[in-house]
Amino acid sequence: MVFDFIALGVFSLIIIVMAAYGYKLSAKTAEDYMMAGRTIGVVVMFFFVLFAISSSWTFYGFPGVLYLHGPGYVFFIWGSVAGFAGLYMFLGPRLWALAKINRFLSPIEVLAERYESKALRVLLSITMLAFIIPYVGIQPLGVGRGFEALTGLPLWVGAVYTSVLLIILVILGGMRIVAWVNIFLGMVYVTALLGSLFWVVSIVFPDAGLVQAATTLVEIDPAKLSAPGPLGEYTSTLMIGTFVVGLMAFCWPHVVIGVMTARDKKLFRWFPLLIFVFGGLFFYIIPFIWGSLVAPAALPGVTSVAEADSIVQTVIQTYLPRWFAVLVLMGVIAAAVSTAAVQLMTSSIIVARDLVQGVIKPDANDKQITAIARWSVVGIVIFSLSVTVAVQIGAGEEAMALYLTNVSVPGFAQWAPALVGGLLWKRGTKQGALAGTLVGVTYLLLGMLIKGADGSNILFFDLHPVVPTLPLNLIVYIVVSHLTPRPSEQIEDVFFNEVDDYLRSERTV
Amino acid sequence: MLEMKTHRAGKIFLAVLVLSIIAMMVVVGLGYMETPEGADPILLFGWMTMPLVAGVAFVLVWLIAYLIYFFKYWPYR
Repeated sequence: MVFDFIALGVFSLIIIVMAAYGYKLSAKTAEDYMMAGRTIGVVVMFFFVLFAISSSWTFYGFPGVLYLHGPGYVFFIWGSVAGFAGLYMFLGPRLWALAKINRFLSPIEVLAERYESKALRVLLSITMLAFIIPYVGIQPLGVGRGFEALTGLPLWVGAVYTSVLLIILVILGGMRIVAWVNIFLGMVYVTALLGSLFWVVSIVFPDAGLVQAATTLVEIDPAKLSAPGPLGEYTSTLMIGTFVVGLMAFCWPHVVIGVMTARDKKLFRWFPLLIFVFGGLFFYIIPFIWGSLVAPAALPGVTSVAEADSIVQTVIQTYLPRWFAVLVLMGVIAAAVSTAAVQLMTSSIIVARDLVQGVIKPDANDKQITAIARWSVVGIVIFSLSVTVAVQIGAGEEAMALYLTNVSVPGFAQWAPALVGGLLWKRGTKQGALAGTLVGVTYLLLGMLIKGADGSNILFFDLHPVVPTLPLNLIVYIVVSHLTPRPSEQIEDVFFNEVDDYLRSERTV
Repeated sequence: MLEMKTHRAGKIFLAVLVLSIIAMMVVVGLGYMETPEGADPILLFGWMTMPLVAGVAFVLVWLIAYLIYFFKYWPYR
């Protein structure tokens, strides 16, 4: 136990020192704190974004669902890889150029200016905060579960430890150090996840490795090797739906904001390569193999959602020495902190730049909004900890993976029509964006709240929440845009013509 | 994306990506991810399940299309 705490103490110290160093380096301006001075290059950006996406979900939730339901859930990953690459290939260059030319600090600010609407700014800010903050809370929860499994300490200990680390990192470091720390955290995480996989496979399946694991599964539970899985859950319809939900990854706000920190347009040419090769063909396959093959073959018989969520850690603790389990817990903390830090940065930028400076106090200066962004982090962390409290008192036991896909992603999806239309469709209007977003968000909230007698979300007609809400949002956006006067020529110039000229210009390279 | 619609290579690139998404859905919809009645699960190289194989193929299509377009034809390159 003493070794555990020393190791975790050293790990925390590295993060804190990096954050302090970042504070010393920073230019103390809002642009530097929120956008890393727009200096992030392709390699740092890749680790920054990959590990912003790869939360404790990739260690707990994702393998947990695969363990229980077989490989069908992996279509979320295939959709996500395409979604993230799509963001950088289709929307990224324009969003980056717009932000750079006009000194925008938040993607919501871009849309508020594009549609010339303060009301839209408020609506999008509140919507994004409402869906991102509980997701921030999932990260300390994941660490809390890891702490509990390894040390026997209550869930809240790990959650509070993570929260304190997060607050220090984000308040001191800002976006640049969050990005840099993500490289360190990512390396810890990959080492833990991949190292443990190799080690467990060599111990449990020494003769033929993964082939032996698959053969074992064919004998004990073959349904876990194909769709629809042992419980019949992942039908063709659900897999296609899961894939579509994955495609919506292009509009996760904490990923979208990363685009705006890019150093130059070259990044957009190289970034998808890393997403496809390192992300799609390597990184996400590790937890897939863990959850769909190695864990069910090594430790079959688990049926509860909570136990399945921790199955990778349970296997590691069963087969590997205790000291390695501490390294794995560090990996989980790394994954949780890397994601939550970016989400926190995004949330604090929305609060400071969009709500405070954009609406409440338009005359706030650079120094003031930086301070507000820093201190709002504390409030957001405390608020997000309610997720941990809810689980601790037994009020919320939904599987972590399904929280991401069933709650956060449908919420993030509601700004997709306004975002895509704002950047790519000249005819999109303020009224269209407002009406579409409002209708989509209202439908989503009502659908989540109103339950049938059997507990199902009857307003979603037994479909994934994205499926009925997003098309309605999109249709309303398009129809209302066509029925209202087109945006001014000035808007068209600033948001389309100038951006295109800028991106074509060699001077921007 | 607007720049991709202004020239032939861009349109082909977008068409390849859209078709790959449709193809993925068709393959899933036709039941190729499921085990045939009375048979063992289909495993490539003895361990790769069909959802993994389908996804890897999908990513490879996107990767190849991206490499060709972004390094040879992308107007902002």
